[in-house]
Amino acid sequence: MEALLDNAVFVGKGLAMTMQIALATLLFSTAISLVLGVLASLPKPWLRGIIHMYVEFFRAIPLIVNIFFIYFALPLFDIQLSPFAAVTLGLTLWGSANGIEIVRGGILSTPAHQWRSAWALGLKTWQIYVYVIGPQAMKAIVPPFTGLLTLLVQATSLGALVGVSEFLKVGQIIVERSTIMGGESPAFFVYAFVLLVYFIICSALTWLSRYLERRFNTGSARRTPAPQI
Amino acid sequence: MAFDLDYLIGQWPALLGGLLVTIQVTVLSIVFSLAIGLVGAALRLFRVPVLSQLVVAYVEFIRNTPILVQLFFIFYGLPSIGLSLSLFWSGVLSLSLWAGAYQVENFRGGLLTVEKGMREAAYALSLKPRLYFRLVALPIAIRTSLPAMLNTSVSLLKNSSYLQAIGLAELTFVAVDRIATDFRAIEMFAAIGAMYLTLVILLSLAASRLEYRLQRPFRT
Repeated sequence: MEALLDNAVFVGKGLAMTMQIALATLLFSTAISLVLGVLASLPKPWLRGIIHMYVEFFRAIPLIVNIFFIYFALPLFDIQLSPFAAVTLGLTLWGSANGIEIVRGGILSTPAHQWRSAWALGLKTWQIYVYVIGPQAMKAIVPPFTGLLTLLVQATSLGALVGVSEFLKVGQIIVERSTIMGGESPAFFVYAFVLLVYFIICSALTWLSRYLERRFNTGSARRTPAPQI
Repeated sequence: MAFDLDYLIGQWPALLGGLLVTIQVTVLSIVFSLAIGLVGAALRLFRVPVLSQLVVAYVEFIRNTPILVQLFFIFYGLPSIGLSLSLFWSGVLSLSLWAGAYQVENFRGGLLTVEKGMREAAYALSLKPRLYFRLVALPIAIRTSLPAMLNTSVSLLKNSSYLQAIGLAELTFVAVDRIATDFRAIEMFAAIGAMYLTLVILLSLAASRLEYRLQRPFRT
């Protein structure tokens, strides 16, 4: 406990870094997911095929391998990324792969008669997306996206493995430092504390996701399954 | 920097060793997580007091904390209060606990699809709750929850790469270890990427065969 209190500022900085990675990733993933998700819902088989490959690839490769590749292999092509950028890029690729599926599922879950009515009214494709399908699809998209955010917050802990001073790494450093200086390892309490903080943040997000789902209760509309790490 | 296939062939034994560890850990953890899932879902189905609430808490806790931190807690945290496990078993324990939480929900989802009438019919035939569970609910629930169980198992396989962080010599560890000495990152990542993809595909194939077999009584 003392080990944590003595390092309160350090712990706070770690937490801030975790949030920074999570928010940056969320922002980029959302942008990519919206664009590619809409494109994947268009009736163009080749386009859908390419996006499907992107999605399947980044979902099939272990996230950690993905991040290690960016961090260790890209420098060989003279692309040197900071640990922060490497983690953000890796998580974005993974997060957007999951996000695309959510967006595509949300768009496809809107009833077919909505499309037909919009066409019958002479709306252009972009108008249909913006005024008709978009607002309805949002109901199906937002709750699972909040769920995805929970997973992204959890996945930021991978930053510790490439040397980003995020929350878990800070815990690790505190454990090592106190073990060397105090001779006794506070690992149990420090990691229990780290678990607890993650639990509080992620439970809040999970709760929000469930709340939104109930709020936007889309009835019988096909629900996109929540992604899994 | 050209792709050096000879290098990769030279590293084959090391990679194969890592692959075997990955498979061992994954298979053991899948078995344990299914056992956890089965017991947990049964406790919740029958609303066993205290224990079913504990299962809910366990599931929520695991799902809302990063698996990497769970792993660190088990491998570095527990020994500091005198509970130490070997590297391998720490890995298996943390993966099993992680996947177990998802399997509880998968099984429970399957059990919830079993109609209420089934239970009433079974009790009317004077089956004991235990027998109802084994003979009626389980066979139906396993069939319906199989795809979800497979999803979790595939995630488990991918997450076995996290054990790299505590130094277990599984596939990712071997690759990163070699990259640190030989700088042949492209070859190594291509190799382990292909291996993980193959394992995922094999696991999916095995599951669809199993699904096909389990559907046998329902085919005409």
